[in-house]
Amino acid sequence: MKKQLLIIPFIIFLFILLTFFYLLAIERNPSELPSNLLDKKIPKFETESLLKNERFISAKEFGKEKILVNFFATWCQPCRTEHTYIKRFSKEKGIRIIGINYKDNPKKAVEWLRKLGNPYSDVPVDKNGRIAIDWGVYGIPETFVINSNGIIKYRHIGPVTKKIYKKINLLISDIE
Amino acid sequence: MVPSLGNFSLFLSLLFAISQFIVSRKNKNLKFISISVIGLLISSLISFFLLMYSHVVSDFSVLNVFQNSHTTKPLLYKISGVWGNHEGSMLLWILVLTLFNYFIFKLFNKKNSIFILKTLEVQAFITIGFILFTVLTSNPFERMIPAQANGLGFNPILQDPALAIHPPLLYIGYVGLSAAFSLSVATLSLNNSEKIPWYNYMKPFVVAAWTFLTAGIALGSIWAYYELGWGGWWFWDPVENASFMPWLLGTALLHSLIVVEKRKSLQTWVLLLAILAFLLSVVGTFLVRSGILTSVHTFALDPSRGIYILIFTALIGVYSLTLFGSKSKKYFDNNYFTFFSKEGSILVNNILMIVVCATVFLGTIYPLLVEAFTNSKISVGEPYYNSTVIPIMIPAILIMGVGPMLSWGKENKSKVFKEILPNILLTILMTFFIFLIYKSYSVIGFAGIILAFWIIFNNLLMLIKKNRKYSISMIVAHLGVGLLILGITGSSVWQEEKIIKMKIDEKTKIEKYNIVFDKINEIRGPNYVALQGIFFVYDDKKNIVTKLKPENRFYPIENNFTTEASIHTNIFRDLYIVLGEGNSNDGWVVRIYYNPLVIWIWIGALVIFLGGITSININLKKLKILS
Repeated sequence: MKKQLLIIPFIIFLFILLTFFYLLAIERNPSELPSNLLDKKIPKFETESLLKNERFISAKEFGKEKILVNFFATWCQPCRTEHTYIKRFSKEKGIRIIGINYKDNPKKAVEWLRKLGNPYSDVPVDKNGRIAIDWGVYGIPETFVINSNGIIKYRHIGPVTKKIYKKINLLISDIE
Repeated sequence: MVPSLGNFSLFLSLLFAISQFIVSRKNKNLKFISISVIGLLISSLISFFLLMYSHVVSDFSVLNVFQNSHTTKPLLYKISGVWGNHEGSMLLWILVLTLFNYFIFKLFNKKNSIFILKTLEVQAFITIGFILFTVLTSNPFERMIPAQANGLGFNPILQDPALAIHPPLLYIGYVGLSAAFSLSVATLSLNNSEKIPWYNYMKPFVVAAWTFLTAGIALGSIWAYYELGWGGWWFWDPVENASFMPWLLGTALLHSLIVVEKRKSLQTWVLLLAILAFLLSVVGTFLVRSGILTSVHTFALDPSRGIYILIFTALIGVYSLTLFGSKSKKYFDNNYFTFFSKEGSILVNNILMIVVCATVFLGTIYPLLVEAFTNSKISVGEPYYNSTVIPIMIPAILIMGVGPMLSWGKENKSKVFKEILPNILLTILMTFFIFLIYKSYSVIGFAGIILAFWIIFNNLLMLIKKNRKYSISMIVAHLGVGLLILGITGSSVWQEEKIIKMKIDEKTKIEKYNIVFDKINEIRGPNYVALQGIFFVYDDKKNIVTKLKPENRFYPIENNFTTEASIHTNIFRDLYIVLGEGNSNDGWVVRIYYNPLVIWIWIGALVIFLGGITSININLKKLKILS
C-alpha cells in the first residue's frame, strides 16, 4: 500500500472542518428559509377582525404603505417574548402592523393584547389556519415585511430577537 | 453555598485532569497518577451530584435550575432535568469520561505501564477539552441573582421516563469510543516494542460503547414513538444521525477487532476506525449543539459553543489523523482474504457499514455543503435515506446471516450449504406464513421479512447446536438484530394511517378494527391538565379489544401543549391513537395508526443489549487473563 493513501482521511477531515468553520464565520440563520412568496404579491384573504366589527379584506389594506405582518397566538410562548419588539416597531418606527391571530381563542387573544399592549392596527383572525397555509407559514411566530405595493420583501421564521429587530428596522428604511 | 461548592469542584476536576496530563507524560510516578485519576473521578462526581442536589431542592439561585425546573415537577424529572439541558448534560458527559478514565487506569500493570500511561495522557487531554468547554461556555453553576421564587419549568416533551435514561446510555457509548480513540492514538504513537495486544484492550471498551449506544438510540426511538405522537420511531433527524453514524462505525470496529484478535490482520484499518468513530461522535455533538443545523432537538444555542467544539475537534482530529498518516504503515499487513471465509465476510460487512455511514454523513451535511458553496438552501429527507441506506443494508444483512458459520481462512462451500439448508427452508416457510397474515406484498416487505427470518433461524440453529465455536453473546446479539429487522420491516411497510375528524359517538375503521369515540374527559396530572379522549376498540367479531385514552396535555407553567399517544400493543401490531385539536361541536382531529410488529423493534434492541452486556464481561475476563 502506498503511504500517501494513509493521509486521505486527514484530507477529507480537513475539508469538512474548513466548511464548518466557514459556515460558522458567515452570517447565517439556519432557520431562515427562502420563501416562495418573496418578491411576490401577498396572498389575498378575507376574514373576521378580532377587535373591529367589520370584516378584514386584505385587498383594502395592503398596497398603500409599508406593512409588517406578524402571525401570533396566545398559546405560543415565543410570541410573548417577541412582543416587546413588535411593540417597538409600532412605537419607534410608526409602521403599521397587522397581527394575524393564528388558531386561537378570541377571548384569550383580546385579554392577552389588553395585558401586554396592542401594537397591531388590525387583528384578522385565522381560526383554522387557512391563511397561514396560504402564506406558507409553518410555525409561529413568523413576521413578513410588505412594501407599499403589497409585495413581500422579507420573511422571518421564529421570534424577533434584538438582532432580527435591527435587521428588519434597516430593511424597513431601505425598501420602497 | 452548594452551587459554589459544585463550581469549585468542577474547577478542581480541571486541575486534576491537567495534572493527569502532565504526570502521565513524564511516566513512572504511579502515586501522582493515581491521585490525579481518583481526584478527577471524585471531584467530577461531587460537582455532578451537587448540581443534582440543586435541582432536587429547587435552588432557583442557580440559573440552570431556574431555566429548567419548577417546584411542581415530579422528582424523577427533577433528577433527569440535570442532563435534560445542555449545561447539565456536559457535566454528565464529564462524569462518564472520568469513570472510563478510571477503568483505563485500573488496567495498569508493570508490563503495560507505558501503553496505559500514554492512553491516560490522551484521555486527560480529551477530558481537559470537555471541562474547559463546560467552564468557559456552559457552566451549569452560573448564579441567578436575585434568586427567583420559582423556575421556568422543564420542556414537557422531555418529561418522559425513556428520555430520562436515554442521555446517560448514549454518553456511555460516545465516551467508550473516546477510550478506543485514546488506545488507538497511544498504539500509533508508541513503538510497541513490548508487543502489547492493544486490540484486547480496545475490545471491551468498543463492545461497551456499541452496546450502550444501541440501547441509547433505541430509547431515543421509544421516546419519539410514544411522546412525539407522529406514529413513527425514526425520522432521519440530524440528531438521530449524529448517534447513528458512530454506531455504524462502532459496528464495523467491533467486528474488525475480532479479525485482528484472531488473525492479526486489519490492524491499520482498526486503528483508523477507532479514531474516526470518536471524531464522528464529536462532530455529531458539534452539529447538534452549535445551531449550524436545525433539528427537532432544541438545545439552547450559542455560537461561541460551536466555535469551541470545532476548535477542539480540529485539535484532536488533526493530531490523530496526521499521526495515523505518518505512523500507521508499520501495522499494515499484506494478508489477502478469500471472500468465502469468516474474515472475508466481516471485511465485506465492514465496507458496507462504512458506505452506509458515509451515505448518512453526506445526507446530514450535504445541505451545509450546498449552502457553503452555492448559497442556496436545500433539505435532505427520508426519501434520500430510504432509497440509499436500505439497498446497502440488504447485502450486509444477508452476509451477516451466514458469516458466523464460516471458518477462518478457507471454507468448504458444500459443507456450509448443507448446514444452512434447514434454515433456508424455515425462512421460506415463515415468510410464506407472515404474508398469509398481512397479505400486503411489496419488494421491500419481502426482502425485509426474508432477511429477518434468515438471521433469526441461523442464530437459533447455532444456539441449538451449542457448538463451542460460536460465542453465545454474538448469537444473542445477532438474534436481536433479526428481531429488530422484523419490527422495522413490519412497521414501515405495513403501517396504516388515518387522519379524520371525529365527533363523540362516531366510529371509524382501520384494518379489521372498529374504533368508537366514546367521550372526552378533563383530567388533572401533577403539573398539567389534560383533555382525555376515550376510544373503544372492537375487532371484526365485535368483541372489545381495548379502551384507548389519548391525551392532549397542557402544562400551564411552561405554557406548552403536548400530545400523549395511547397505544395498545401485542406481538402482531400496535394500535396508536393521537387526539388532535378540536371542540365538541365540530369534532376532534384524530390520528390513528395501525403499526404492525413494532414491539419487535424494542425486543430486538433489548436482546442486542443483553448480548452486548455478556460480551463486555467475556472480553474483560479475556483481558484479565492476558495481563
